[in-house]
Amino acid sequence: MIELHKDQLIVRFPDVHADAELRIDFQRTLRIPDDDREYPLPAGLGRFPLRHVDDFAERVPARWLEHGGVLLPMYQSEALWINFDGGYPCAVKIAAGKINAVTGDAYRPGLHRGPQDYAVTPGQPWLDGFCVEKGIIRQFVAMPLGAGYSAEEQITGAAEHGGLQLHVYPIKRQHYRPPIEGASVTGAPLGRALFAKSFDMGLAPGGRMRQEIYRDHRPLDVWDLDHGHRCFVHLANSLVWRAITGEEPPSTPLTARDYARAHIPWFEYYAEGETAVDGAGVLQRLKSVVAMGKAKGDVPLPENESLTPQTVIDLRRGLVKGQVREGRF
Amino acid sequence: MTTGFGDYVRTRREALRAHDDRYSLRQVAQRIGVEPSFLSKVERDETPPPSEAKIVALAEELGEDADVLLALAGKVSSDLQAAIRKRPELFATLIRELKDLPDRAVLRLVRDVRDGKW
Repeated sequence: MIELHKDQLIVRFPDVHADAELRIDFQRTLRIPDDDREYPLPAGLGRFPLRHVDDFAERVPARWLEHGGVLLPMYQSEALWINFDGGYPCAVKIAAGKINAVTGDAYRPGLHRGPQDYAVTPGQPWLDGFCVEKGIIRQFVAMPLGAGYSAEEQITGAAEHGGLQLHVYPIKRQHYRPPIEGASVTGAPLGRALFAKSFDMGLAPGGRMRQEIYRDHRPLDVWDLDHGHRCFVHLANSLVWRAITGEEPPSTPLTARDYARAHIPWFEYYAEGETAVDGAGVLQRLKSVVAMGKAKGDVPLPENESLTPQTVIDLRRGLVKGQVREGRF
Repeated sequence: MTTGFGDYVRTRREALRAHDDRYSLRQVAQRIGVEPSFLSKVERDETPPPSEAKIVALAEELGEDADVLLALAGKVSSDLQAAIRKRPELFATLIRELKDLPDRAVLRLVRDVRDGKW
């Protein structure tokens, strides 16, 4: 079952193990410059609100109801990262517009290797974008579905699904080893509209960021494919969020200038003993939002000037229990 | 059941203060909008716990669950009270029926995020 609690998805597998739980939330963050330079990880600036689509059945598109799941408000060109928190090993498939964010393949259930098409928690505390090269991702950036920027549209030629799709599989009970106290990082949580014709947002590849997707060292058959749970996260344009929910959308995202002025740090994450999966060629060949904008004669990203991160904090897996990536501002 | 509220708050605040001076009595009191002397009395259980709003602010400050702190203070949050007052028979029955069930069984009753056809 998946519960929605305080803007967090709590995925539980009580039939597998009492500890079998993974908490997932979506963090607002700085959209890093899309300038082909490589940036460290920007901070989390709070959770995006999440609501059940069923609660707004009269006001959301029929296909959202068909998909089920939750909805989340995003401004055009706003970025997000996905935060995983839980000690019970889980394999997580992440797709944007039903394009696998790790391999660039079309979404399919189950778990696969060659190439590995999922991330493993704990160990993978966050995912900030599409895995384009080994150790490099392109940031998830919201663009209106139908405008041609999303990974889905670039790969399939169609603006059909949009949103984010998550599918979580727990490790089989017999392969679970309760964590040693103090030895693990929990992965605790350590952001204007130009043209808003579209109701739906899709995730497009933005700026380049250093982040590894870790290789799964376990045999594939340790994962309990009989107990997967999945959730469709619909990305509602912030400007229609109010019309759907009656709630104010979150404030407009921070600009790079605001971020620097507030002295918000950047992060580098190191997990010793882990190896990264290779990037996917199909994802590497995607045009970034700025490159696609140039090809279309658009200027899709306001305030895209390069910047030099000032304070960069190194986070090493295993140093401090409950080490946070999100600071106090 | 107010016993233990102050003690719990003090223990939690001091644990945080061991790593961060911003969790001094004075600074926490200032951030939640009460006098340090008042928070000190609350922590020593010399005065009843503060208002719901202050307890919620304190929970947020200390990284604690607001419902847990409210329960320690012998209170129930106003949104839960409103939900019960709206459908008193239903919720009274529900709570009585569920009170002795193990968490695992209760979790099955929590609203599930519905999965549809992708």
